[in-house]
Formats: sequence, C-alpha cells, structure tokens
Amino acid sequence: MTSVATASPDTAAQSVPPRKKVSSLLRSQRRAGVWMALPASLHAGIWIGLPMLASIVLSFTQYDVISAPRFIGLANFEDLFTDPVFMTSLRNTAVYAFFTVPVSMAIALVLAVMLNQGIRGQMLYRTAIFIPQVTATVAIALVWLWIYNPRGGLANQLLGFFGIGQVSWLTDTAWSLPSIIAVGVWQGIGLKMLIYLAALQGLPKDVFEAASIDGATAVQKFMQITVPMLKPATFFVLVTSIIGAFQAFDQVYILTQGGPANSTTLITYEIYKSAFQQFRMGLACAQSLVLFVFLIVLTLINRRLMGGSNDDS
Amino acid sequence: MTLTRRSFLSAVGISSVALSAAACSGPTAGSGPATVATGKLSGQVSLLTPIFEGAAGKALLEQKLIPAFQKTHPDVSFKVDYVNYSALNEKLTTGLAGGTVADVLMLGVGWIPPFAAKGVLAELPAEFADGQGFHPRVLDPSRHEGKLYALPAVLDTRFVAYRKDIFEEAGITAPPQNWEELRGIAKELTRSSGGRISRAGIDAFSIDLRQGWEYALFANGGKLFDETGRKVLFNQREGVEALEFLAGLIKDGSTAFDFRSEAGKPLQLQTGNAAMALVNNAHFMTIQQQSPELIKEGKIGTFLLKNTTEAMFQGGTLASVSARSKNPDAAQTFVRYLASPEVILHTCEYRGSVPAISALASSDYVKNNDFVRFAVDNLDKSVSEGGTPAWMEIRDTIKAAVEEALTGKATAQEALDRLADTANDAIGRLQ
Repeated sequence: MTSVATASPDTAAQSVPPRKKVSSLLRSQRRAGVWMALPASLHAGIWIGLPMLASIVLSFTQYDVISAPRFIGLANFEDLFTDPVFMTSLRNTAVYAFFTVPVSMAIALVLAVMLNQGIRGQMLYRTAIFIPQVTATVAIALVWLWIYNPRGGLANQLLGFFGIGQVSWLTDTAWSLPSIIAVGVWQGIGLKMLIYLAALQGLPKDVFEAASIDGATAVQKFMQITVPMLKPATFFVLVTSIIGAFQAFDQVYILTQGGPANSTTLITYEIYKSAFQQFRMGLACAQSLVLFVFLIVLTLINRRLMGGSNDDS
Repeated sequence: MTLTRRSFLSAVGISSVALSAAACSGPTAGSGPATVATGKLSGQVSLLTPIFEGAAGKALLEQKLIPAFQKTHPDVSFKVDYVNYSALNEKLTTGLAGGTVADVLMLGVGWIPPFAAKGVLAELPAEFADGQGFHPRVLDPSRHEGKLYALPAVLDTRFVAYRKDIFEEAGITAPPQNWEELRGIAKELTRSSGGRISRAGIDAFSIDLRQGWEYALFANGGKLFDETGRKVLFNQREGVEALEFLAGLIKDGSTAFDFRSEAGKPLQLQTGNAAMALVNNAHFMTIQQQSPELIKEGKIGTFLLKNTTEAMFQGGTLASVSARSKNPDAAQTFVRYLASPEVILHTCEYRGSVPAISALASSDYVKNNDFVRFAVDNLDKSVSEGGTPAWMEIRDTIKAAVEEALTGKATAQEALDRLADTANDAIGRLQ
C-alpha cells in the first residue's frame, strides 16, 4: 500500500502565494482585450476552424457534393496509399520541395548579401528580383510556356547557340519535373531575398567591425557571423518555403496539368483533380489531411533540427 | 434577449448543424414525368454556359438571342455565368456544394448520365426531342436510362484533314483506307531536318489526347463501355490497337509527342508543317480567317479515320435544366429555345460548330463551311464519348493513361489495364 503524504492545512495555505488584488483598470483592460480579439477569433473559428473540422469529418466519407456524405471509415486513406498516382504525386512533391527550397534559399541569401552592399542601382535589382513574386502566376506561366516551347522557345534557342540538342521540356517525362522546379526556384527567390535582406539590415554592425579588426575575410565573416546570426530568418524562410513548395499548384495547372503521364502531378494538383474534376470530395479531404499532417511533421522536424527560432532571436 | 456565452455557443452549434445539414442535403428529385411548361412565364433564369465566351459570344447571347426570347416572354430576366470548358467542372462543383447551381446548365457530351443519375438534372418532356429534326445519334448523349435530360445546342466533331497539294506532289490520289495505309502515307510524307521533324506526316496530338485515342478506338470498332455503362470495354483488343496505332506514329517518326499546333497560332496543317491532322470542325474558321487561299485553292481535304469502321468523333454542348431550379418552367422553355433551329444556327456561325438539326444542312452556313458540311454528311457515322454514370471520374484519368503509352512509360495494354482498374473502381462506387 502506498502511503500518501499530506500537507497540513496551515502548510498548504502558506505555500500558495497570496492572490493579488486585480485592479478595476486591469479588469477592464482584460475585458477590452477579449472584445478586441473576438472578431479575429470568430473569423478564425468560422472560416478556418469549421472548414478544417468539416474537412477532417468528410475525409472519412464518400462525398460527391451532390449526394449526402456516406461514412466509409478509413477507405479513402486505404485508397490513397494504394493509388499509384497519389504515391507519384507524393514523390513528385517531395522532389519538388527538395530542389526548390534549398536552391532558392541559397540563391536568395547570396543575392540578399550582394544587394546589401550599397551597390549602385540596388533598388532596381531588388525590384527586378522581387517582381516574379507579385506577378500573376498565370502570366508567368505563359511566359515560361514560350521559353519551354520545343520549337523556337528561348530555352532551346540558347541550347542551340551552344550546339546542344533540343529538349522537349514539358512533354518529356524526364525533363518535365525539372522544368517545373526551375520555374518554382525562379519564382520563389524574390520573397526569400526580401526576408533575408530585412534580417541582414537588422544585424549589429559592430560585430562585423570587430571581425574586420581581427582580420577576418569576407567569406569568414559570411560563414561565421552572417549565417549563424541569420538563423531565425533562415528558420522562418525554411518553414514557409517548405509549406509553399508543398502547396505549389499554379505552375503545374497551367504548364503541364500534371502531365505527361503524371510526371508533374503534385499533391495539390491531385487534390484539385479529386475535388473538382472527379467529384470525389471525401477523397480530396483525405488527401488534404495527409498533406496537412505531412507539413506539421516537417515543421516540427525543422524546429527540432534548428533548435527553434525563438532560442536564438 | 441577453447574449450569454452559453446562448452564443448554442447558437453557433445550431447554425453549424443547420449549415451541415443544408450542405449535405441532396437535390430534390423530380416528382414525376416531365411536362411541358404552359402559361405565362416570369422570373429570373440563371444560365451557366461554356460556349458564349469572349466579347463576341457575350454580344450574341445578350444582344441577340436573349432579347429575341424576351419578345415572347418579356417577364423573364436572365443572369448569365460565362465559363470555359476547362473550368466548367469547378463551377458546377462549387455551385452544387453551395446550393447556387444555375437553372440552365450547358454541359458536354458524356456529362448527362453522371448528373442525371445523381438527380442534378430535371427530366425534360420527351416531346421536346420529337419531330425537331435531331439526328438520332445526336440525341443519344442527351438521354439517360431512356429519359431525356438535355437538348443538343451545338456539335463539335473530330475527323482528319489533309493537304491535297502535298498528297498530289507525292502522287497519292486517295485518302488512306485503313491504319496501315495511313501509317505508310504519313511516313512517306514526313520530312526531317537537323534531327527534328520539319513536316510531320500527321499532326495527331493537337486535339485533346483523350478524344484522339477515343476517336481511334471508335474507328477500330471499339467501345468505351457496354450498353449498361457498368462494364469497361476499352482495354480490349480494339482499344489497345488504337493506342498502339497512335504510339506507332511516333515510333515511325511520322510525328512526335510534342509536335502540336500551338494555341492561337496557325495550325501545322495550315503552314504546311503537317500533311494530315486530326482536327475539330471549328478549325475551318481558323483556316478561313488566317489562310483563306488554302480554301480558295481547294488545298484542304477531309476524310474519316477508319480501320475496321469508318467513324467520326462527336462532341458538343447540351442544354439542360437543373433539378434545383426555382423557375423550372422558364428554364425548360429557354432550353427548348436554345435548341431551336434559328438559335442553333446563330450559335454555330459564331463557334464554327455543327448544327444538330438536319434541316439546317441546307443553310448557307453549312454549304459554305467545308468541315461543317463534311460533318453533317457523316452524322450517321458519329460516335460519342461517355456512356456511364461514372464518366466524370473516369474522363479525367484517360489522358494520363494515353500519355503513358505515347511516352513509352508503359505498353498500351498496361496503360489501359490500369485505366480499367480506375474505371472499375469508379463504377463500383455507383449506388
């Protein structure tokens, strides 16, 4: 029998700190805070919380939008993980993220450092690099359609200039995904560069001055001061980039529509097809749930690997 | 009433349940045989259309067709939602989910059985189709389980067009009679330069890949599904041969998977970069506008794809009434109006489409449009896609299967067997 030690009432009373008297001003401030937070909370609850809940519930149903949903347990999830097209879309999305995220982050960081040097015309360069971020993806995709045109497109003309054979960029299963990745990298650089640029401008100058006095080279300063001090920004860029990469849709929708032979089908495009072209809303909800869980896990892994952003900020 | 936390949460809960129930409720099924609307019509009719896109289409519909309808029905007003075919599915899905589906829906061939089976469409009176001069094959896609759910507004057919001048130069005097001959001619007429095709024997992939393969399937005597729409037939010999035929054109070097006419640019056939091409009847307007000399000099010929059967692919747009329509009488009357000869003729003239009514075969429009005239003359050989209530699920997956075979990722049999598995799953889910 386990004996339980109990504190005497007097001791217990002594261990509890005396409750502070809350002033009426503090109370009214708290009340005002609740009222001010209420619209945002309601918005989040109705437009984010409820749809999420509905999506989770619908993922366990057969629902074609027209008839009432029918509970089918885990059948949608079983379908997903035995469906070769969904597995292909998962693999394609992972490959897309693997190449677009680090590559565009590295380019963005280098560009940000270069454009933080006070070079002539830096505003023009910054604007030029940021423009793809604020241009409609449809317009961008149309330009890339021309660049990738197998007959007379810019990409093949450049290859021809160097004596290299022509490539079927979007219609060859070996080249289609790399072509989509290239568009993703190009389009994603602007925002990342902007975040890095803002972070760079917040770094303390005295540390760099001290390093210069100690004789550190530019590369040493970059590797041993800039990169470590940009860790919070890097964590933010990494997480948002991964989420962005896993949510990439527009370029596939316009450039390839997932083809040829599903070689560029990404998860989001598969969700779109299930929901809006095949009327399988329940399956689309299950696919969305898988994507959601995948992103949560990736974010947690990132946080663990990078030690979190707050610890270093 | 004072808003307490408990009453607020209760209200939110009740609203959520009510919203869910509303979202989950299906459409109201028709209560009996459809009857012809009589009496004075009034109220608003909403229309979802994929065929009056662009300024010219909008002007035709809003300044000509609707005002003409309103002359006899002045109390009926219209709200038009323009959409193109690529976004029509999305529009329907969101409309159905949100309970805002239009009164009159214009759908594609093959779309009627899926939506009729689910109770989205209202049955139309059978007499709407009787005595109007619709070709029997044209009416097939408008029916489901023997009941009429739509009327054809316009047809869009697929066949083969060829350059007579290129054929003559090579001493070829007649179009091919089967695929073996077609492959031979295509190979003979192909020209290459620097390892790339400068003139393809045939431009086979500028039309939709799904439709291209289906057309070959029909020309090989095959079918997509059996009469019940529950048994897959497309992975049988006829379908496999059809896909192998298309892949064979690439293997022969007579065309390439990326050899296509670009949207908005002249067709490869027009520029002489292809000797033959699978075309849509609407391409005649493109040629007429961009290269009228080809028409004047009689350089473009047409023939039907044939291996075991001479066939023409028939697509098109059908007008139907939503089962949820709040103004079904006016909607029904407008559908009948959209399928009337004068409206069909105007719509066809705008789109370069084929009229669904035989009486229009003698119109100047048909007489002066070689492709449309050819299609009208061959309507008895036309075959439509679809034929199963699971079509909307299957339709979208066909292209990827065709691409697998064309890009060498799978054999034709493997690609079609996988497609058949998907189709059987979709059919198995039908209730």
